[in-house]
Amino acid sequence: MNREDPIFIAHRLLDEQILDCDGRRCGRVDDIELQGSPPRVSALLVGVGLYPRRLPRWLRGLARRLSGPERWGASALRIPWEEVDRIEAAVHLRGKAEEHGLGEGDDPERWMVRRLPWN
Amino acid sequence: MSNRRRRPGVTAAVVALGVSLIALSGCGDLSRDELNRGVESLSAIAAQGELIANGVARDATKSTYTRVMAKTLGGEAEHEAEKLADAEPEGEVRPERHAAVQIGGELSQLFSELQTFPGDERHGAVVEHHMEEVKEQADAVVARLTGEAP
Amino acid sequence: MKIIFKIALGIIAAVGGFLDIGDLVFNTQAGALYRYDLLWAVALGTLGIAVYAEMAGRVAAVSQRPVFDVIRMRLGFGPGLVALIASTLVNVLTVAAELGGLAIVLQLLFDAPFSLFVVLAAIGLVVAVALLPFGGIERIFGYGGLLMLVFVVTAVHQHPDWGAVANGFIPSLSDSKLYLYFVVGVFAAALMPYEVHFYSSGAIEEGWTEKSLKENRLNAIIGYSLGGILAAALVVVSGYLFHPLGVEPNDLGTVALPVQGAFGETGLLLALGGMLFCVGGAAIDSSFSAAYNLAQFLGWEWGRYRGPKKAPRFTVSWLVFLFLAVLIVLTGINPVEITEYSVVFAVVALPMTYLPILLIAGDRSFMGEHVNGRVSTGLGWIYFAVIVVLAVAAIPLLLMTNGGGG
Repeated sequence: MNREDPIFIAHRLLDEQILDCDGRRCGRVDDIELQGSPPRVSALLVGVGLYPRRLPRWLRGLARRLSGPERWGASALRIPWEEVDRIEAAVHLRGKAEEHGLGEGDDPERWMVRRLPWN
Repeated sequence: MSNRRRRPGVTAAVVALGVSLIALSGCGDLSRDELNRGVESLSAIAAQGELIANGVARDATKSTYTRVMAKTLGGEAEHEAEKLADAEPEGEVRPERHAAVQIGGELSQLFSELQTFPGDERHGAVVEHHMEEVKEQADAVVARLTGEAP
Repeated sequence: MKIIFKIALGIIAAVGGFLDIGDLVFNTQAGALYRYDLLWAVALGTLGIAVYAEMAGRVAAVSQRPVFDVIRMRLGFGPGLVALIASTLVNVLTVAAELGGLAIVLQLLFDAPFSLFVVLAAIGLVVAVALLPFGGIERIFGYGGLLMLVFVVTAVHQHPDWGAVANGFIPSLSDSKLYLYFVVGVFAAALMPYEVHFYSSGAIEEGWTEKSLKENRLNAIIGYSLGGILAAALVVVSGYLFHPLGVEPNDLGTVALPVQGAFGETGLLLALGGMLFCVGGAAIDSSFSAAYNLAQFLGWEWGRYRGPKKAPRFTVSWLVFLFLAVLIVLTGINPVEITEYSVVFAVVALPMTYLPILLIAGDRSFMGEHVNGRVSTGLGWIYFAVIVVLAVAAIPLLLMTNGGGG
């Protein structure tokens, strides 16, 4: 699928896996930003901070406490639609995950895993 | 989705019902039925003991296996006997309760013998024979409790 | 020729890896209580896992989506999160049950304190994962599990009344709640969802593509059906020996007793060895499943093939799940009891993870020409109905029968 093609966003875009240009898994499409009329997809929104809005209202307070507030650039990231290369079994980005701040949770330095023997 | 609220009264009723059910099933006198179930478990444990002792008698087992199984099953027999001894039986089943507690005690003794001599064929044969007898005793108690001819 | 050989090896591993502690516990108890009457539930569960695994493997090979990827796509975040939490709880319980089982078998072999073996078993599993590549883990435990064939040999050796055995494959219901509880238990033990989650993620670990579809079909259908024979043998040997004596098998060690009866110490050692590999393999599969599910749902990097450096959150969560399981076993709850709860709760959570796979496997926009055919669609939906009925019945039956205690 080309990114100019019309797409059934609830069916094929929302909740989809995101891969960067090296095929690294770096998050899921947690929400979508639409702009204009008729609305067009302007950005993918990714991050833990967005989880509370995906839950029913009575759970949101609890979820906010667990995931922290939506901090743009940190717990909530905006990936402009122009950065999307193509959509196949996953959403492929043009650039590397780090350029967008994606996949930082999988930084090995944070987890003391370098010394594990099965690397 | 957001406007519907479950009424607190309903939840409280459900919880209360649950608690009272648990309380009801937990205590009370030792009925004929419960005693029967206990003796049936003892008979089942004796049957397993017979099979394990048979393995020892035929020198067809591994001593670690025998020892661990005997420890476990002996513990189960003892636990069952304690449970029956602690409960207050309904009047008419008092003698059966007494027999059951004794059976449990005998079983746990037989298992401790297996545990001590897991590689001794002669001991194994003796224990196997005793297990069979104890199982027959247990089955006789069950027959008396259920009113069937043994 | 080489490809046939490779496929055959895969099937053999699937057979050996079929059984886990749930089958050992429920099938032996079912045989002792109802002789051969519940064999039909074994067959039904076996066909069920073949159908589910074939679909999940096909979806993974064609669309490169493992189960929890599909769940997030089809159920969305909220309901998907419910499926994730339920599956994770069940998985951790299952890991605990398998680890406890592993420790019991080690204890039966070497007679030392249980808690020591729990810790050693967990360390052993970490070492196995550290040393072996993904395929190696699957194969070693799968081949070792073939020792369980000694149960089939025992069944034949016992000369049971084969007419009665055949009769057991005819479905029958009764109004006894305990019987119905065992129908659910035996069925669910064959169809544990972690097995399918692991299978589908494994397809991606091993780089399956559309070319692997034949392998998938043979693995799922032939491998799992042959595995079902092992599961049925557990019922038969127990039904033959324990049913007439009134034995109630409440301990894992009892499972091996019929084999000892038939073949003495050698038989006992083969049976315990087979159980060791089955339960050990299942401990790895179920703990990996827990980590796969979490990582896939949240979009993390995952997989044994990536290594800890590239998939640190996946690796760390795997270790954490394993650690939690160790803690559960060390509380001293009888692993047989943990098994019963894990199996019954697994069937409750099953519809949530089964439905999305069924939907995607039938969706041409994802699957193209490999979309479910008429047979798969029919079987798939029939099984969905069966699973929903069992899921609804499972908890009430668990409570009414006092956890199978009668």
